[in-house]
Amino acid sequence: MSDTIPIWRIKYLPHSLKEICGRKDLIERLSDIIKERNFPHLLFVGQEGIGKTTIATLFSEAFLGKYFKSNFQKVYANVPLTSEELKQARSEAYVSTSKLGSLAGKTITTPAFIQIKVKPFIELKALGDVPFKILIVKNFEALGSNQQAFRRLMEIYGTNCRMMLITTKISAIIDPIISRCQIFLISPPKFEAFDGLIRYIVDKEDLDIEENTIKLLYNITGGRISNALDLLQLASISGKKIDSDKLYENLMTSQSDLIRNLLLICLKGDFPKARELSRKIQTSYKYNSKEVFNFLLKELFKLPISRYARNHIINLIAEADYRAIDGMDIDIQISNLMAKICNFAELL
Amino acid sequence: MKRLEANQNIPWVEKYRPKSIREMAIPQAKVNGHRVALDDELRTFIKNFFNDIHKINEENKKIRTFNRNTDDKHQKEELKIPPEKAAVLLEGPPGIGKTSIVYALANDLNMEVVETNASDTRTRDALESKLKETTKSRGIMDFIVISKDKLILIDEIDGIYGVTDRGAVPTILELVENTQFPIIMCSNEYKKNLQPLYNKIRKFEINPLSKDEILKIIKIIIKKEKITELKLEDLDLIIEKNNGDLRGIINDLQGITQGGIDKDNKDLISHLHRDSNEEIFSVIRDLFQKASTLQEARRITDKSDVDYNFLYKWVNENLPTFIRKNKELENAYENLSLADEIFGRIRKNQYWSLLPYFYDLFSGGVILSRKYHPKNEGFRRIVFPRFTSTGFFSLSTAEQSFVDKVKEKYNISEIEVIQNLLPFLKKLSSNSRKHLKLISDWLELDAKEKKLLK
Repeated sequence: MSDTIPIWRIKYLPHSLKEICGRKDLIERLSDIIKERNFPHLLFVGQEGIGKTTIATLFSEAFLGKYFKSNFQKVYANVPLTSEELKQARSEAYVSTSKLGSLAGKTITTPAFIQIKVKPFIELKALGDVPFKILIVKNFEALGSNQQAFRRLMEIYGTNCRMMLITTKISAIIDPIISRCQIFLISPPKFEAFDGLIRYIVDKEDLDIEENTIKLLYNITGGRISNALDLLQLASISGKKIDSDKLYENLMTSQSDLIRNLLLICLKGDFPKARELSRKIQTSYKYNSKEVFNFLLKELFKLPISRYARNHIINLIAEADYRAIDGMDIDIQISNLMAKICNFAELL
Repeated sequence: MKRLEANQNIPWVEKYRPKSIREMAIPQAKVNGHRVALDDELRTFIKNFFNDIHKINEENKKIRTFNRNTDDKHQKEELKIPPEKAAVLLEGPPGIGKTSIVYALANDLNMEVVETNASDTRTRDALESKLKETTKSRGIMDFIVISKDKLILIDEIDGIYGVTDRGAVPTILELVENTQFPIIMCSNEYKKNLQPLYNKIRKFEINPLSKDEILKIIKIIIKKEKITELKLEDLDLIIEKNNGDLRGIINDLQGITQGGIDKDNKDLISHLHRDSNEEIFSVIRDLFQKASTLQEARRITDKSDVDYNFLYKWVNENLPTFIRKNKELENAYENLSLADEIFGRIRKNQYWSLLPYFYDLFSGGVILSRKYHPKNEGFRRIVFPRFTSTGFFSLSTAEQSFVDKVKEKYNISEIEVIQNLLPFLKKLSSNSRKHLKLISDWLELDAKEKKLLK
């Protein structure tokens, strides 16, 4: 079955803790925890794309054994709820007046995400011979102020369900949550482990690659295995020999490059072209407004412009972001920002 | 009035609005199938109203004194004016003179018109608060100077909130029976749910003017505006296309004249004909190419029936076509972005009273940013706002099913599939047809989903 998977990053996924590339200290600690059959709430922190969720899931599989399916759940805090789920949340939140008690006729104000995706799972007792269930919450920082609601959950249902919270930004997690968790800082694999894995794949896929090229691959991708395998696969299409030129050729125009392009076009003052590109980015990546402005800000820092110009544009982005909170149409707010940058560029 | 006349760019509909009944071509009206003289009827209605309300007020004063000195059981109820004496309804197609006759009459009788539009008040409370103060109270100036009596005009009663359910009629009737001033309501068409209202007050069904009467008025305008290049057959075409809508005819006349008659008139006229599909194109064009003051911009957006939700998206889409200089573009977009923010607040918090700011910003604010107006701009293509920005993550059906199929084999979130995996798969498939086939087979994609990979 695994021989027929055409996508390398899926084909070479690890299926147990032992198969994870590098990070042996972490794996040892997690294996000890499995032997002890007990652990507190965990918080995994690390850059994106280095394997936090994969490690957490494999750990849970090993811990729960054959009772994995019914006692495990993974939820994404950054995926918005569908309209059906929102409707369900609203209807469930209202306590009918026919019920007894002081809550009758009132609306319970739990955040919809927790009500729909988390509560149904953690309220049920663990099934089978396991000490507790495990819930993984990915992109926990996306909850924002709803993290407060999680504090109580972690306390009340803690005996029944342990949480593993995964995030890239520890500064976006509130202190009460951090104090309830044990923190694990996850880092990308070291070069030796990375090298080992790449060589194994090179052997299996019958490629031809040099030591320097693997080092280059490690540096370009920052040790992120998914990205590295993607790049490797792209490079291998045109031939079994992989050299550094091929890697650079196939380095994908990722979203950051597109956004960087957008800023450059604005600084040239070409508004119609800028708007066309911004719409293309929005439709192909489906960013929400927060993400667009975040990416713009990130790329702005990489541009070689004067401090004065950068400061001014930061102000413009902040203003646009603020307007977009209440506004109905983000295309208008982005267009406004671009028009301002175009005009500002003329003064530079 | 004098100040307005000095402005060359005032719309002709306003410039030539009749200031007195004598200047008007009174449209024909029927009540219950019988022909009546509209102006006489309305005059009598108003005169009788003030007589009746005076009597009732006197009676009520006596009742109030009586009630103060008796206990609850024997108290009398205050009198209310019967609806058919308090209000009338003018029903007829747009542009035939319903509003004009009210204003002209008020001018002749030295009264002040208080106008509200029933269709843009979304809740009963809002409508009540708008009108209750006026229907009941007398202004503070009444104590100081002898101010004019008021005539209340409720326009677009057929668009009132609740006309599709039963909420509308009780609201209107309650207002009518508590009013201190005569009420004239206007409506464009018969609405079944307003039948209880039609049973209680008099309804004047107003017919459009005849072609001769229209021609008479148009000829006066042509003479006053010194239009010389309009052929009679073109004039006929305009009148025909507008179906008795005098307002529309005058607007079209102004549109053609001020746009330059050296073009092929027939094409222009058929472009101007008030088909709702074409209408928005002309609104946008008028806005950008003809309006040069805030008031004109306002009137252009007011006169169109286009949903404002959509109209400002049209402005956004076509802005760069008409405004090319970056400095002007920045100003225009500043206005539009403020308008959008206000609009968002209006929708989310139901602050409908802020709507006028929204209108002014996205119409007047935007077009006034354009300082440089080329004399003969020529034809600029106006585009439909195809692009809808998703405020949140929303997938097409093909994308959703693609995500589901990926999730079966590789457990990641939808966002990661669309933002991370899919761009990679696209690049892979575009470089190698073999891989396109392998991936589609492995994921068992159908044709639509396969298209996503290209």
